[in-house]
Amino acid sequence: MLQIIRIEWLKVKSYRTFWILLLLAVAIIPAANYIGAEINSQIRDKAQELLPLSTYDFPLIWQTMASVNSYMTALFGFPLLILVTNEFTYKTHRQNIIDGWERREFVLSKLFWWLALGVLALFISMLFAVILGLAYGTHAFSLEDSRYMLYYFLQVEVSLAIALLIAMLVRRAGLAIVLYLAYTMMIEQVLVVTIKRYVGEVGGLLPLQAGDELLPFPIVGKLINSADRFDDSVYLFMLFVYIALMIFLVFRRMLKTDY
Amino acid sequence: MQMCKCGASSMHLHICTSAHQKIKSVSVLSLHNISKRYGAIQALSGVSFEVPPGSVFGILGPNGSGKTTLLGIVTDVLKADEGTYRLFDAQPAGHLRRQIGTLLETPNFYHYLTAYQNLQVAAAIKQKPEQDISRVLEIAGLTARQHSRFKTYSLGMKQRLAIASALLGDPGVLILDEPTNGLDPAGIAEVRQLVLRLAETGKTIILASHLLDEVEKVCSHVAILQKGKLLLSGPVNEVLAREDYVELSGPDNTVLEGVLVRHPAFSHILGRNGHLQVVFSQPVDLAALNAYCAEQGVWLNHLHIRKQSLERAFLQLTNN
Repeated sequence: MLQIIRIEWLKVKSYRTFWILLLLAVAIIPAANYIGAEINSQIRDKAQELLPLSTYDFPLIWQTMASVNSYMTALFGFPLLILVTNEFTYKTHRQNIIDGWERREFVLSKLFWWLALGVLALFISMLFAVILGLAYGTHAFSLEDSRYMLYYFLQVEVSLAIALLIAMLVRRAGLAIVLYLAYTMMIEQVLVVTIKRYVGEVGGLLPLQAGDELLPFPIVGKLINSADRFDDSVYLFMLFVYIALMIFLVFRRMLKTDY
Repeated sequence: MQMCKCGASSMHLHICTSAHQKIKSVSVLSLHNISKRYGAIQALSGVSFEVPPGSVFGILGPNGSGKTTLLGIVTDVLKADEGTYRLFDAQPAGHLRRQIGTLLETPNFYHYLTAYQNLQVAAAIKQKPEQDISRVLEIAGLTARQHSRFKTYSLGMKQRLAIASALLGDPGVLILDEPTNGLDPAGIAEVRQLVLRLAETGKTIILASHLLDEVEKVCSHVAILQKGKLLLSGPVNEVLAREDYVELSGPDNTVLEGVLVRHPAFSHILGRNGHLQVVFSQPVDLAALNAYCAEQGVWLNHLHIRKQSLERAFLQLTNN
């Protein structure tokens, strides 16, 4: 596996587009939360009596940042989409096999990015949660409720798995990006609203929504959550199911198809 | 029983990881009844042949005859519908493909990387030392442009880079699919010389081409494909045997033809294009043939021995 990671590093280290897309996905985490924390601190100054615990105070900050970041999970899909579809555009996926990779190793090389981008999102989120919590919060550092960061991580991994599956199936960069954007920004939301309205809470079990259900915004989320929603463990279970299913489909596709 | 330099005894092939990597005794590649269909098109139909070690094995056929599909299957980028193949008498696997330098169809490289960076990726996958990159770039004549991005390369330079990549690690076996594609006449001659030089060092070379003279000039063995079917395979001299024929004319070629068919060594008439083109079953002495015709009352005004063109031999073969 180390050999595969080294080869992937050789492929991307001087690929500017990848680094720009990655920088965008990473930079939006501190940027959005800095703005959030700044606004939050102004509200707190004026309404200290109403809200004894601010959303950017420990331990609430873990949930706040996980919730804010969950609106931007799709961004981490773009560098992955570009890396995978590039292989098909340049037919280098064929050359990698010709030169001696097993097809399994080609899939593993892209699963490395799937995991690495998710871990990066988690790391950056936790790092800035600590920084912003210490800078803006009035409470001491605490890891209580940091499980929300794990939910966020799983939601990023679901987004990345959707991106990976679309890229492996569609192969063309433009179409893959359009489909990914359409699904993450529109199609699933429409399905969720429609199913919730006509069928029920099962609409909340769709891939990205399952993560959203686990990441309500603190305080406000409790007010709008419906009473008959599933237990958190159901949504959590569904996230694992979606990840396993999509990775299975990626392997099945890439091990059997003509390159 | 032979002893390999690395110490292993071999009646059968073993892949030796030491420097010499000499392939012994068994076929480098064997195909058994390979078939492949793309929708309504039968790209390959029950193809079987073996590539002996040390041979320069040409896969000859017109465009669309299935050459690239065949090589795609043996490099695992395509899946055969039926049939099996073996590399070095073993189940195909990535570590066996690493022992083969392959150029398949078009050069496939990362456009945003330089030539050197692309070869770094290839060397890492092939598990060959990076120190070899400068050697292969020198062979391909790309040293001066090694730090230019691949997307700035001309078609000929891309093809040279693909050849350089195939040569990484000095593999014992090379698969070259139309290696002279996109090259200018000087480049074509260079690549042919390179293939011959590599063949002289004992490497096995599998060369797909639609160019007859390319195959005749460099190959020791050939397999001929047409519409996905294997017509013939074997040593070039046997498969592409070309008949000598005698070209003659007299005052009346109809009378002359009547005389020639009675010649004891007469085989068949190849053509009647102004002159009669006659094939004899054994070599004939032109002076004796002239005398024979004169004895029969026909005085020849044209008599010449010629070799059948390669194209004609090929067309004869494929028409049958």
